[in-house]
Amino acid sequence: MPSRRFLLTVSAAWLALGARGQAQSASAAATAFVQATGDKLVGVVNGPGSAQQKRQALTRIIDTVVDVDGVARFCLGRFWRQASSQQQQSYMNLFHQVLVTNITSKLGEYQGVRFAMGRAVPDGDNVAVDTTVYRPNNPPTDVKWLIANAGSDPKIVDVVAEGTSLRLTQRSDYASYLNHNNNNIDALISAMHHQVEQDLASG
Amino acid sequence: MRAFFRTVPLWLPSLLVVLLAGCATPPPASDPDALAYYKETNDPLEPFNRKMYAVNNALDSAVLRPVAKAYVFAVPEALRTGIHNVLDNLHTPVQLSNDMLEGKPRRAGDTYMRFLINTTVGCLGFFDVAAKWGYPDHDADFGMTLAEWGVGPGPYLYLPVLGPNDPRDFAGFGVDIAADPFTWVGQGAAVTALGYSRWALTAVDARSRLLGTLSNIKKTALDPYATFRSLYRQHRKSQIEEMENDNRSTVPVWFPQPASAR
Repeated sequence: MPSRRFLLTVSAAWLALGARGQAQSASAAATAFVQATGDKLVGVVNGPGSAQQKRQALTRIIDTVVDVDGVARFCLGRFWRQASSQQQQSYMNLFHQVLVTNITSKLGEYQGVRFAMGRAVPDGDNVAVDTTVYRPNNPPTDVKWLIANAGSDPKIVDVVAEGTSLRLTQRSDYASYLNHNNNNIDALISAMHHQVEQDLASG
Repeated sequence: MRAFFRTVPLWLPSLLVVLLAGCATPPPASDPDALAYYKETNDPLEPFNRKMYAVNNALDSAVLRPVAKAYVFAVPEALRTGIHNVLDNLHTPVQLSNDMLEGKPRRAGDTYMRFLINTTVGCLGFFDVAAKWGYPDHDADFGMTLAEWGVGPGPYLYLPVLGPNDPRDFAGFGVDIAADPFTWVGQGAAVTALGYSRWALTAVDARSRLLGTLSNIKKTALDPYATFRSLYRQHRKSQIEEMENDNRSTVPVWFPQPASAR
Protein backbone atom coordinates (compact mmCIF):
# COMPACT_ATOMS: atom_id res chain seq x y z
CA MET A 1 0.00 0.00 0.00
CA PRO A 2 1.44 3.38 -0.93
CA SER A 3 2.19 5.61 2.03
CA ARG A 4 0.21 8.71 2.83
CA ARG A 5 3.27 10.86 2.27
CA PHE A 6 3.73 9.38 -1.17
CA LEU A 7 0.15 10.14 -2.18
CA LEU A 8 0.47 13.67 -0.82
CA THR A 9 3.70 14.25 -2.70
CA VAL A 10 2.30 13.02 -5.95
CA SER A 11 -0.79 15.18 -5.61
CA ALA A 12 1.31 18.17 -4.58
CA ALA A 13 3.51 17.69 -7.61
CA TRP A 14 0.37 17.53 -9.76
CA LEU A 15 -1.14 20.69 -8.33
CA ALA A 16 2.10 22.69 -8.49
CA LEU A 17 2.48 22.15 -12.18
CA GLY A 18 -0.80 23.70 -13.23
CA ALA A 19 -2.64 22.59 -16.31
CA ARG A 20 0.13 21.28 -18.53
CA GLY A 21 -0.84 17.66 -18.85
CA GLN A 22 2.34 16.35 -20.39
CA ALA A 23 4.66 17.98 -17.86
CA GLN A 24 2.29 16.92 -15.11
CA SER A 25 2.30 13.25 -15.94
CA ALA A 26 6.07 13.24 -16.54
CA SER A 27 6.66 14.85 -13.15
CA ALA A 28 4.29 12.49 -11.40
CA ALA A 29 5.92 9.52 -13.09
CA ALA A 30 9.39 10.78 -12.13
CA THR A 31 8.28 11.30 -8.54
CA ALA A 32 6.84 7.82 -8.35
CA PHE A 33 10.03 6.42 -9.89
CA VAL A 34 12.28 8.21 -7.38
CA GLN A 35 10.06 7.13 -4.50
CA ALA A 36 10.18 3.50 -5.61
CA THR A 37 13.94 3.60 -6.26
CA GLY A 38 14.61 5.30 -2.93
CA ASP A 39 12.52 2.70 -1.12
CA LYS A 40 14.51 -0.08 -2.80
CA LEU A 41 17.89 1.47 -1.93
CA VAL A 42 16.90 2.24 1.65
CA GLY A 43 15.46 -1.25 1.98
CA VAL A 44 18.82 -2.79 1.09
CA VAL A 45 20.86 -0.39 3.24
CA ASN A 46 18.68 -0.85 6.32
CA GLY A 47 18.05 -4.54 5.67
CA PRO A 48 19.97 -7.63 6.82
CA GLY A 49 22.97 -9.11 5.05
CA SER A 50 26.73 -8.69 4.90
CA ALA A 51 28.45 -5.74 3.22
CA GLN A 52 29.22 -8.01 0.28
CA GLN A 53 25.57 -9.08 -0.14
CA LYS A 54 24.43 -5.48 0.11
CA ARG A 55 26.90 -4.43 -2.52
CA GLN A 56 25.56 -7.09 -4.88
CA ALA A 57 21.97 -6.05 -4.26
CA LEU A 58 22.81 -2.37 -4.77
CA THR A 59 24.69 -3.21 -7.99
CA ARG A 60 21.56 -4.88 -9.38
CA ILE A 61 19.40 -1.87 -8.48
CA ILE A 62 21.88 0.69 -9.83
CA ASP A 63 22.24 -1.16 -13.13
CA THR A 64 18.49 -1.07 -13.68
CA VAL A 65 17.66 2.47 -12.50
CA VAL A 66 20.75 4.49 -13.54
CA ASP A 67 21.70 5.29 -17.12
CA VAL A 68 25.22 4.13 -16.32
CA ASP A 69 26.48 4.14 -19.91
CA GLY A 70 25.22 7.68 -20.48
CA VAL A 71 26.76 8.92 -17.23
CA ALA A 72 30.03 7.15 -18.07
CA ARG A 73 30.26 8.82 -21.47
CA PHE A 74 29.45 12.20 -19.90
CA CYS A 75 32.18 11.78 -17.29
CA LEU A 76 34.89 11.07 -19.85
CA GLY A 77 33.92 14.23 -21.78
CA ARG A 78 35.98 14.95 -24.90
CA PHE A 79 38.21 11.93 -24.19
CA TRP A 80 35.37 9.54 -25.03
CA ARG A 81 35.72 10.34 -28.73
CA GLN A 82 39.49 10.08 -28.54
CA ALA A 83 39.41 6.64 -26.90
CA SER A 84 39.79 3.50 -28.95
CA SER A 85 36.83 1.10 -28.86
CA GLN A 86 38.84 -1.22 -26.64
CA GLN A 87 39.57 1.64 -24.23
CA GLN A 88 35.90 2.61 -24.28
CA GLN A 89 34.97 -0.96 -23.43
CA SER A 90 37.31 -1.31 -20.46
CA TYR A 91 36.48 2.20 -19.23
CA MET A 92 32.77 1.38 -19.35
CA ASN A 93 33.21 -1.86 -17.40
CA LEU A 94 35.30 -0.15 -14.73
CA PHE A 95 32.94 2.82 -14.50
CA HIS A 96 30.06 0.50 -13.58
CA GLN A 97 32.05 -0.79 -10.62
CA VAL A 98 33.35 2.63 -9.61
CA LEU A 99 29.84 4.03 -9.59
CA VAL A 100 28.58 1.18 -7.43
CA THR A 101 31.49 1.72 -5.03
CA ASN A 102 30.84 5.45 -4.85
CA ILE A 103 27.17 4.97 -4.14
CA THR A 104 27.61 2.13 -1.66
CA SER A 105 30.31 4.01 0.21
CA LYS A 106 27.93 6.95 0.53
CA LEU A 107 24.89 4.91 1.49
CA GLY A 108 26.26 1.68 2.88
CA GLU A 109 27.33 2.79 6.32
CA TYR A 110 24.14 4.64 7.13
CA GLN A 111 22.00 2.05 8.83
CA GLY A 112 18.81 3.95 9.61
CA VAL A 113 18.84 6.15 6.51
CA ARG A 114 15.46 7.53 5.40
CA PHE A 115 14.24 10.15 2.95
CA ALA A 116 11.31 12.48 2.27
CA MET A 117 10.01 13.45 -1.16
CA GLY A 118 9.93 17.05 -2.34
CA ARG A 119 8.62 18.70 -5.48
CA ALA A 120 9.30 17.67 -9.07
CA VAL A 121 9.89 20.17 -11.87
CA PRO A 122 10.83 19.80 -15.54
CA ASP A 123 14.52 20.51 -16.19
CA GLY A 124 15.24 20.62 -19.90
CA ASP A 125 14.48 17.16 -21.29
CA ASN A 126 14.65 15.69 -17.79
CA VAL A 127 12.59 15.96 -14.63
CA ALA A 128 14.30 17.13 -11.43
CA VAL A 129 12.88 15.50 -8.31
CA ASP A 130 13.81 16.95 -4.91
CA THR A 131 14.27 14.76 -1.84
CA THR A 132 15.67 15.27 1.63
CA VAL A 133 17.87 12.46 2.92
CA TYR A 134 18.22 11.87 6.65
CA ARG A 135 21.22 9.89 7.88
CA PRO A 136 21.93 9.24 11.54
CA ASN A 137 24.63 11.55 12.97
CA ASN A 138 24.45 13.77 9.89
CA PRO A 139 22.60 16.96 9.05
CA PRO A 140 19.69 16.45 6.58
CA THR A 141 20.85 16.66 2.96
CA ASP A 142 18.93 18.05 -0.01
CA VAL A 143 19.30 15.59 -2.86
CA LYS A 144 17.95 16.26 -6.34
CA TRP A 145 17.52 13.42 -8.83
CA LEU A 146 17.59 14.10 -12.56
CA ILE A 147 15.33 11.67 -14.36
CA ALA A 148 15.40 11.11 -18.13
CA ASN A 149 12.52 9.55 -20.11
CA ALA A 150 10.25 9.94 -17.09
CA GLY A 151 7.13 8.98 -19.05
CA SER A 152 8.35 5.82 -20.77
CA ASP A 153 11.56 4.28 -19.43
CA PRO A 154 12.75 6.39 -16.47
CA LYS A 155 16.49 6.40 -15.74
CA ILE A 156 18.58 8.41 -13.29
CA VAL A 157 21.09 10.56 -15.17
CA ASP A 158 22.41 12.63 -12.27
CA VAL A 159 22.22 13.00 -8.50
CA VAL A 160 22.75 16.50 -7.12
CA ALA A 161 23.51 16.64 -3.39
CA GLU A 162 23.47 20.11 -1.79
CA GLY A 163 23.95 21.67 -5.21
CA THR A 164 26.85 19.42 -6.19
CA SER A 165 26.31 17.17 -9.18
CA LEU A 166 27.70 13.66 -9.08
CA ARG A 167 28.46 13.49 -12.78
CA LEU A 168 29.97 16.99 -13.02
CA THR A 169 32.24 16.28 -10.05
CA GLN A 170 33.28 12.92 -11.47
CA ARG A 171 33.96 14.51 -14.83
CA SER A 172 36.25 17.18 -13.37
CA ASP A 173 38.04 14.50 -11.35
CA TYR A 174 38.80 12.49 -14.49
CA ALA A 175 39.64 15.59 -16.52
CA SER A 176 42.17 16.72 -13.94
CA TYR A 177 43.66 13.25 -13.61
CA LEU A 178 44.08 13.01 -17.38
CA ASN A 179 45.52 16.52 -17.51
CA HIS A 180 48.23 15.53 -15.03
CA ASN A 181 48.95 12.29 -16.88
CA ASN A 182 49.58 13.59 -20.42
CA ASN A 183 45.95 12.96 -21.38
CA ASN A 184 46.74 9.26 -21.44
CA ILE A 185 43.46 7.33 -21.29
CA ASP A 186 45.26 4.09 -20.41
CA ALA A 187 46.64 5.80 -17.30
CA LEU A 188 43.09 6.68 -16.25
CA ILE A 189 41.91 3.13 -16.91
CA SER A 190 44.71 1.60 -14.84
CA ALA A 191 44.03 4.10 -12.01
CA MET A 192 40.35 3.11 -12.04
CA HIS A 193 41.35 -0.54 -12.12
CA HIS A 194 43.59 -0.03 -9.12
CA GLN A 195 40.79 1.80 -7.29
CA VAL A 196 38.26 -0.97 -7.90
CA GLU A 197 40.71 -3.65 -6.76
CA GLN A 198 41.47 -1.74 -3.57
CA ASP A 199 37.78 -1.29 -2.80
CA LEU A 200 37.05 -4.97 -3.32
CA ALA A 201 40.03 -5.92 -1.15
CA SER A 202 38.91 -3.65 1.69
CA GLY A 203 35.42 -5.15 1.47
CA MET B 1 47.75 46.04 17.01
CA ARG B 2 44.45 44.30 17.51
CA ALA B 3 42.81 46.65 15.07
CA PHE B 4 45.60 46.14 12.54
CA PHE B 5 45.40 42.39 12.88
CA ARG B 6 41.71 42.49 12.17
CA THR B 7 42.15 44.37 8.91
CA VAL B 8 44.41 41.62 7.56
CA PRO B 9 41.60 39.69 5.84
CA LEU B 10 40.61 42.89 4.02
CA TRP B 11 43.84 43.53 2.14
CA LEU B 12 45.49 40.13 2.21
CA PRO B 13 43.59 38.62 -0.75
CA SER B 14 44.69 41.30 -3.21
CA LEU B 15 48.25 41.05 -1.92
CA LEU B 16 48.23 37.27 -2.29
CA VAL B 17 46.93 37.44 -5.82
CA VAL B 18 49.59 39.96 -6.84
CA LEU B 19 52.37 37.97 -5.20
CA LEU B 20 51.39 34.68 -6.71
CA ALA B 21 50.31 35.77 -10.16
CA GLY B 22 53.61 34.50 -11.51
CA CYS B 23 52.90 30.85 -10.71
CA ALA B 24 50.94 30.04 -13.82
CA THR B 25 52.07 28.67 -17.17
CA PRO B 26 49.09 28.60 -19.55
CA PRO B 27 49.28 26.02 -22.34
CA PRO B 28 50.17 27.28 -25.85
CA ALA B 29 47.43 28.37 -28.25
CA SER B 30 48.39 25.49 -30.57
CA ASP B 31 46.67 23.10 -28.13
CA PRO B 32 43.05 24.36 -28.06
CA ASP B 33 41.72 21.50 -25.90
CA ALA B 34 44.33 22.07 -23.21
CA LEU B 35 43.74 25.82 -23.37
CA ALA B 36 39.98 25.34 -23.03
CA TYR B 37 40.57 23.10 -20.04
CA TYR B 38 42.93 25.67 -18.50
CA LYS B 39 40.30 28.40 -18.86
CA GLU B 40 37.50 26.18 -17.59
CA THR B 41 39.31 25.19 -14.39
CA ASN B 42 40.33 28.85 -13.85
CA ASP B 43 43.06 27.81 -11.43
CA PRO B 44 46.19 29.73 -12.47
CA LEU B 45 47.65 29.34 -8.96
CA GLU B 46 47.32 25.57 -9.07
CA PRO B 47 50.97 24.83 -8.09
CA PHE B 48 50.67 27.05 -5.01
CA ASN B 49 47.16 25.80 -4.27
CA ARG B 50 48.23 22.16 -4.39
CA LYS B 51 51.02 22.88 -1.89
CA MET B 52 48.52 24.51 0.44
CA TYR B 53 46.20 21.56 -0.05
CA ALA B 54 49.00 19.25 1.12
CA VAL B 55 49.69 21.52 4.10
CA ASN B 56 46.02 21.53 5.06
CA ASN B 57 45.78 17.78 4.70
CA ALA B 58 48.70 17.35 7.08
CA LEU B 59 47.16 19.83 9.53
CA ASP B 60 43.82 18.10 9.23
CA SER B 61 45.11 14.59 9.88
CA ALA B 62 47.30 15.80 12.76
CA VAL B 63 44.86 18.11 14.53
CA LEU B 64 41.41 18.89 13.26
CA ARG B 65 40.21 15.43 12.24
CA PRO B 66 41.27 13.66 15.46
CA VAL B 67 39.69 16.44 17.51
CA ALA B 68 36.47 16.26 15.49
CA LYS B 69 36.41 12.47 15.87
CA ALA B 70 36.92 12.74 19.62
CA TYR B 71 34.15 15.34 19.74
CA VAL B 72 31.72 13.02 17.94
CA PHE B 73 32.79 10.13 20.17
CA ALA B 74 32.51 12.02 23.46
CA VAL B 75 29.51 14.27 22.90
CA PRO B 76 26.05 12.80 22.23
CA GLU B 77 24.34 13.79 18.99
CA ALA B 78 21.57 15.84 20.63
CA LEU B 79 24.12 17.96 22.47
CA ARG B 80 26.20 18.42 19.32
CA THR B 81 23.12 19.57 17.41
CA GLY B 82 22.35 22.01 20.23
CA ILE B 83 25.90 23.41 20.17
CA HIS B 84 25.68 23.75 16.41
CA ASN B 85 22.42 25.67 16.82
CA VAL B 86 23.93 28.00 19.45
CA LEU B 87 26.88 28.77 17.16
CA ASP B 88 24.47 29.41 14.29
CA ASN B 89 22.42 31.72 16.45
CA LEU B 90 25.52 33.73 17.44
CA HIS B 91 26.10 34.21 13.72
CA THR B 92 22.67 35.79 13.04
CA PRO B 93 23.81 39.47 13.16
CA VAL B 94 26.19 38.82 10.25
CA GLN B 95 23.55 36.78 8.42
CA LEU B 96 20.94 39.52 8.88
CA SER B 97 23.18 42.29 7.59
CA ASN B 98 24.02 40.21 4.52
CA ASP B 99 20.34 39.39 3.87
CA MET B 100 19.67 43.13 3.85
CA LEU B 101 22.69 43.98 1.71
CA GLU B 102 21.56 41.31 -0.76
CA GLY B 103 18.19 43.09 -0.96
CA LYS B 104 16.26 40.04 0.27
CA PRO B 105 13.68 41.37 2.75
CA ARG B 106 11.96 38.03 3.26
CA ARG B 107 15.25 36.35 4.07
CA ALA B 108 16.10 39.18 6.46
CA GLY B 109 12.69 38.67 8.07
CA ASP B 110 13.32 34.95 8.44
CA THR B 111 16.71 35.62 10.04
CA TYR B 112 15.26 38.23 12.39
CA MET B 113 12.42 35.95 13.51
CA ARG B 114 14.86 33.06 13.92
CA PHE B 115 17.00 35.17 16.24
CA LEU B 116 14.01 36.34 18.30
CA ILE B 117 12.41 32.90 18.63
CA ASN B 118 15.53 30.80 19.08
CA THR B 119 17.19 33.17 21.56
CA THR B 120 14.10 33.13 23.79
CA VAL B 121 11.94 30.03 23.30
CA GLY B 122 14.92 28.11 21.92
CA CYS B 123 17.02 28.68 25.08
CA LEU B 124 19.78 30.97 23.72
CA GLY B 125 19.68 29.19 20.40
CA PHE B 126 20.12 25.63 21.66
CA PHE B 127 16.87 24.47 20.04
CA ASP B 128 15.97 25.48 16.52
CA VAL B 129 12.30 26.14 17.27
CA ALA B 130 12.00 28.77 14.53
CA ALA B 131 12.56 26.21 11.75
CA LYS B 132 9.56 24.26 13.02
CA TRP B 133 7.52 27.47 13.15
CA GLY B 134 8.07 28.26 9.48
CA TYR B 135 11.29 30.26 9.56
CA PRO B 136 13.86 27.94 7.96
CA ASP B 137 17.58 28.69 7.96
CA HIS B 138 19.42 29.78 4.83
CA ASP B 139 22.97 30.74 3.89
CA ALA B 140 24.12 34.35 3.76
CA ASP B 141 27.64 35.73 3.81
CA PHE B 142 29.44 38.67 2.30
CA GLY B 143 30.87 36.57 -0.52
CA MET B 144 27.27 35.85 -1.60
CA THR B 145 26.42 39.53 -1.17
CA LEU B 146 29.30 40.49 -3.47
CA ALA B 147 28.03 37.91 -5.98
CA GLU B 148 24.57 39.51 -5.86
CA TRP B 149 26.27 42.85 -6.54
CA GLY B 150 27.81 41.39 -9.68
CA VAL B 151 31.30 40.50 -8.45
CA GLY B 152 32.64 37.33 -10.08
CA PRO B 153 34.40 34.67 -8.00
CA GLY B 154 37.80 35.10 -9.63
CA PRO B 155 40.41 32.34 -9.85
CA TYR B 156 40.40 29.42 -7.44
CA LEU B 157 42.34 29.85 -4.23
CA TYR B 158 43.27 27.18 -1.73
CA LEU B 159 44.27 28.74 1.56
CA PRO B 160 46.04 27.30 4.58
CA VAL B 161 43.54 26.49 7.38
CA LEU B 162 40.57 27.99 5.47
CA GLY B 163 40.73 25.57 2.54
CA PRO B 164 38.84 26.02 -0.77
CA ASN B 165 38.26 29.67 -1.55
CA ASP B 166 38.38 32.40 -4.15
CA PRO B 167 39.30 36.10 -3.85
CA ARG B 168 35.67 37.17 -3.65
CA ASP B 169 34.74 34.76 -0.88
CA PHE B 170 37.97 35.38 1.00
CA ALA B 171 37.32 39.13 0.97
CA GLY B 172 33.78 38.35 2.09
CA PHE B 173 35.15 36.25 4.94
CA GLY B 174 37.18 39.24 6.16
CA VAL B 175 34.21 41.59 5.91
CA ASP B 176 32.01 39.14 7.84
CA ILE B 177 34.53 38.99 10.68
CA ALA B 178 34.68 42.79 10.74
CA ALA B 179 30.87 42.98 10.62
CA ASP B 180 30.43 40.55 13.50
CA PRO B 181 29.53 42.51 16.67
CA PHE B 182 31.22 39.83 18.78
CA THR B 183 34.54 40.81 17.17
CA TRP B 184 34.30 44.22 18.81
CA VAL B 185 32.22 43.72 21.95
CA GLY B 186 33.90 43.82 25.35
CA GLN B 187 37.52 43.44 26.34
CA GLY B 188 39.71 41.56 28.74
CA ALA B 189 41.04 38.04 28.94
CA ALA B 190 37.66 36.39 29.50
CA VAL B 191 36.11 37.94 26.40
CA THR B 192 39.15 37.07 24.29
CA ALA B 193 39.07 33.50 25.55
CA LEU B 194 35.36 33.24 24.78
CA GLY B 195 35.96 34.60 21.30
CA TYR B 196 38.68 32.06 20.56
CA SER B 197 36.61 29.21 22.02
CA ARG B 198 33.77 30.18 19.74
CA TRP B 199 35.99 30.02 16.65
CA ALA B 200 37.61 26.77 17.75
CA LEU B 201 34.23 25.21 18.46
CA THR B 202 32.90 26.43 15.11
CA ALA B 203 35.82 24.73 13.36
CA VAL B 204 35.37 21.47 15.28
CA ASP B 205 31.61 21.52 14.72
CA ALA B 206 32.00 22.13 10.99
CA ARG B 207 34.66 19.44 10.67
CA SER B 208 32.68 16.89 12.68
CA ARG B 209 29.70 17.35 10.36
CA LEU B 210 31.94 16.50 7.39
CA LEU B 211 33.78 13.49 8.83
CA GLY B 212 32.12 10.89 6.61
CA THR B 213 31.85 13.11 3.55
CA LEU B 214 35.49 14.19 3.40
CA SER B 215 36.99 10.76 3.96
CA ASN B 216 34.64 9.38 1.31
CA ILE B 217 35.74 11.96 -1.24
CA LYS B 218 39.41 11.31 -0.52
CA LYS B 219 38.77 7.59 -0.92
CA THR B 220 36.76 7.70 -4.15
CA ALA B 221 38.43 10.54 -6.08
CA LEU B 222 41.40 9.94 -8.36
CA ASP B 223 42.44 13.57 -7.89
CA PRO B 224 40.92 14.76 -4.59
CA TYR B 225 42.29 18.29 -5.06
CA ALA B 226 40.38 18.73 -8.33
CA THR B 227 37.29 17.09 -6.85
CA PHE B 228 37.23 19.50 -3.92
CA ARG B 229 37.73 22.40 -6.32
CA SER B 230 34.73 21.31 -8.37
CA LEU B 231 32.60 20.65 -5.27
CA TYR B 232 33.42 24.02 -3.72
CA ARG B 233 32.48 25.92 -6.84
CA GLN B 234 29.28 23.98 -7.45
CA HIS B 235 28.24 24.42 -3.84
CA ARG B 236 28.84 28.20 -3.85
CA LYS B 237 27.03 28.51 -7.17
CA SER B 238 24.00 26.69 -5.82
CA GLN B 239 23.95 28.79 -2.61
CA ILE B 240 24.05 31.97 -4.69
CA GLU B 241 21.40 30.75 -7.12
CA GLU B 242 19.12 29.78 -4.28
CA MET B 243 19.50 33.27 -2.80
CA GLU B 244 18.95 34.99 -6.14
CA ASN B 245 15.84 32.93 -6.86
CA ASP B 246 14.30 33.69 -3.47
CA ASN B 247 11.99 36.48 -4.58
CA ARG B 248 9.10 35.87 -2.21
CA SER B 249 6.62 38.74 -2.10
CA THR B 250 6.86 41.17 0.80
CA VAL B 251 3.12 41.89 0.74
CA PRO B 252 1.45 40.32 3.79
CA VAL B 253 -0.88 37.40 3.00
CA TRP B 254 -3.92 39.26 4.42
CA PHE B 255 -3.37 42.20 2.05
CA PRO B 256 -4.59 42.20 -1.59
CA GLN B 257 -1.74 40.55 -3.53
CA PRO B 258 -0.13 42.14 -6.59
CA ALA B 259 -1.19 40.34 -9.76
CA SER B 260 2.29 38.90 -10.43
CA ALA B 261 2.44 37.17 -7.04
CA ARG B 262 -0.81 35.27 -7.44
